[in-house]
Amino acid sequence: MEYGDTISIEEPAGSRSVRLQPDPAPEATSRVATLLRRFDDLSDRLSPIVVKEVRQIVCGREFNYSFMVSLVIGLLVAFFGAANASSGSGTTGQGVFTALTACLALLGIGIVPFGAFSALRSERLEQTMDLITVTTLTARKVIVGKLLAQAVKLATLFAGMAPFVATSFLLGGIDFVTIVVSLAMVFLVSLWVCAAALLVSSLAKTRGMSGALLAGGVLVLLLLFGGGTIINRLMFGLARGGVVSIGIPFRADGWWALAIGVTLGALSLVNLMLLAENRLSSPVENKSTALRIGFFVQFLAIIGGFTAVAHFSSLPGAVEPMAVFGLLHLSIVAAFTVTEDFPVSRRVLRHIQTASRWSPLWTILWPGGGRGAAYVLFQMVLLIVAVRLVSTREVGWVVAACGYICLFTGAPAVLLRLVRPRISAFYIRVAILVLLSASLVLPDVLYYIVAQENGFNLLYSTRHLINPLRTIANWSIVEARGLYLMPALVGVMGVLLYARLMVMNRRTSRTAPLS
Amino acid sequence: MSEAVLQVEGLVRHFNDVHAVDDVTFSVGRGQVLGFIGPNGAGKTTTMRILATLDVPQGGDARIAGYSVVEQPDKVRRVTGFMPDYAGVYANTTVFEYLDFFARAGGLHGAARRQAVDTIVEFMVLGDLRERQVEGLSKGMKQRVALGRALIHGPQLLILDEPAANLDPRARIEFRTLIRELAADGKTILLSSHILTELTEMCDTVTVIEKGKILASGTVRDIVDGLRQRRMLSVRLATPDPRLERFLLEQPGVVGVHEAGDVASGVSPAGDVVSGMSRTLRFELDGDDQAQVQLMARLIAAGFPILEFSAHSAGLEDVFIEITKGRVQ
Repeated sequence: MEYGDTISIEEPAGSRSVRLQPDPAPEATSRVATLLRRFDDLSDRLSPIVVKEVRQIVCGREFNYSFMVSLVIGLLVAFFGAANASSGSGTTGQGVFTALTACLALLGIGIVPFGAFSALRSERLEQTMDLITVTTLTARKVIVGKLLAQAVKLATLFAGMAPFVATSFLLGGIDFVTIVVSLAMVFLVSLWVCAAALLVSSLAKTRGMSGALLAGGVLVLLLLFGGGTIINRLMFGLARGGVVSIGIPFRADGWWALAIGVTLGALSLVNLMLLAENRLSSPVENKSTALRIGFFVQFLAIIGGFTAVAHFSSLPGAVEPMAVFGLLHLSIVAAFTVTEDFPVSRRVLRHIQTASRWSPLWTILWPGGGRGAAYVLFQMVLLIVAVRLVSTREVGWVVAACGYICLFTGAPAVLLRLVRPRISAFYIRVAILVLLSASLVLPDVLYYIVAQENGFNLLYSTRHLINPLRTIANWSIVEARGLYLMPALVGVMGVLLYARLMVMNRRTSRTAPLS
Repeated sequence: MSEAVLQVEGLVRHFNDVHAVDDVTFSVGRGQVLGFIGPNGAGKTTTMRILATLDVPQGGDARIAGYSVVEQPDKVRRVTGFMPDYAGVYANTTVFEYLDFFARAGGLHGAARRQAVDTIVEFMVLGDLRERQVEGLSKGMKQRVALGRALIHGPQLLILDEPAANLDPRARIEFRTLIRELAADGKTILLSSHILTELTEMCDTVTVIEKGKILASGTVRDIVDGLRQRRMLSVRLATPDPRLERFLLEQPGVVGVHEAGDVASGVSPAGDVVSGMSRTLRFELDGDDQAQVQLMARLIAAGFPILEFSAHSAGLEDVFIEITKGRVQ
């Protein structure tokens, strides 16, 4: 759209001299002005959010202080490193680089994500989100723009440290590949934390909640990066000993593990942004389809990645991690998708109705708990097939786990919707947690009350078949004793409940399409 | 009415049991200003949010420049400018940067974007504030910038929710002038306000809404005429006369005679000493212009010392009070 296209004004009598559609004013023609105009035109290629955010960042105190402090720290580290090297040590570069990486990680994981958190929080609390919503910018563009702005900030901080990083290479003790991979890892992890911060920020609607979420986020960061964690090892291990010396799997297939890690990290980053977009979107928009696609791709990456590892690498035991990650993924996805409200807004309904004739093929991606149930069942089938392709031995417990997921998510959704058709999805999710907690605790508690034994027998037995975690963990006992009936019943009931959800969703779409 | 830029048809929006908008229908022509009035919680803001595509109705539809707010929100956003009842400004952002951002967000590029910003800065008389931080501006100036923001992408319809709230008298007058100029420029404007006297001066038509339902719609004059079948008249005498009330009540079509205005003492033309009585009587006349002329002639013929004989037109405030019951949801 061009400016002149939409403003079409006839000359009225008695109006002021300045018109809303003036004659095109000649633009400045000096060389500097022309150059600036070119840059300005180039900035049109960027998201408006990026341009705005970068302008705000550059004028903000937080960035200027952190940039200055990082330069001072870099200078000090390089100075002491050089002083140490003059004593004859040929491996000082490794220490210097580790210190610089730590400094960058602190900025990238602590300071910059805080900026991301504040950027979105202020947008909501200062009520500017509505003003953006009524422009051509979508919630996705806003989130992507915010993240890219933080990436620009990170890149500037990294660029500021570049001369000192170069010094560490010159001082010796660390190779170029390790430096590049380590910096890339720190950058990616920082970006991931920024995306997580954006998601956390999108959850807050009040200042109090925002403060509580910020405190929770800081706590999680401390736990994640406190010391000895996987992320910590991944980031600093590279710097300490090079790409191939991080751990046992990395020694032989370091690049495989790195590739899987980066792929899953990138996919989860995308999903974090989709989740933030979901939170930011108006309730009348289609908030589900993009998320379902994103999480489906992540699921495919999990099973695809581990299947590839099982077939093409020498890493042992790929099927168990595939099943565990796949099932964890499915259980979380199921808790959120099958509990979705059935009625959709008129805008979404019209969109569904006017979709192409191929739309039934991807109907499971549309919003609604019933479609969500079909979406989860479809992925369960894929997981079972993938596990079966790699190892026949593991199929039993994976099928059983799928059944438990269906029952524990389907039962609250169906029962509560039968009692109160318009019940909020939040209460169904709470009910799922309550049901799961009860299944973990009740078998032992009831046994203790009924049997009234002196000792508390915690060994796995038939009463624990209702406990999904213990049953899956002790699947070998289930197989050995032939206790298949209960898991089979659970599975059948779960699938029937999912089928019921699909029918209920279908009926609701016909009778009460409005929300 | 000229070509309708905004057509609202049977809009419905419920929040559980609250009928925020209940079968609302109205339309506004190009270059017209419609005042949306009603008590707090009447459904004005909900209607405006639906029109701005921030909410979706459960029934009915609204078309802006031919685009449906339900089915074509993207297109509606290109032809609509929305200014909510808060400024919505950014920290560390100058007036220029603020307008530039919304020009970009409105889909303008390159020279068109620069020209749009320059035009708005000039039109809204923001030249001196161009490099000032938006956050530090006065309320009036923020309001000006906010209106500039709503205008920057060249919308056909402007939706302004309580635009004159918190403005000082000068800023209000300036704002009123701006609205009339925008209407003269062909912009269609839908605005809500609690300052009813201002709406009378700004708006071509008004729509009164309460409990989500439209109670009256049209020009202020039309609504008043629709409400009041009788004329409100008053007579002011040079000196009080106790005979006047009886005389008026004896005239055909005159009802509701009562004292109004100043109380005075004096001697009536009949020679009676009168004290503590109003010189002005107000009454209603059920009749046309001819009946009013005849009544005045009879008063003069009866020898009353008439200082003033005037008709009173009800204002928007009278209409508002008469139509609405102050019910909230």
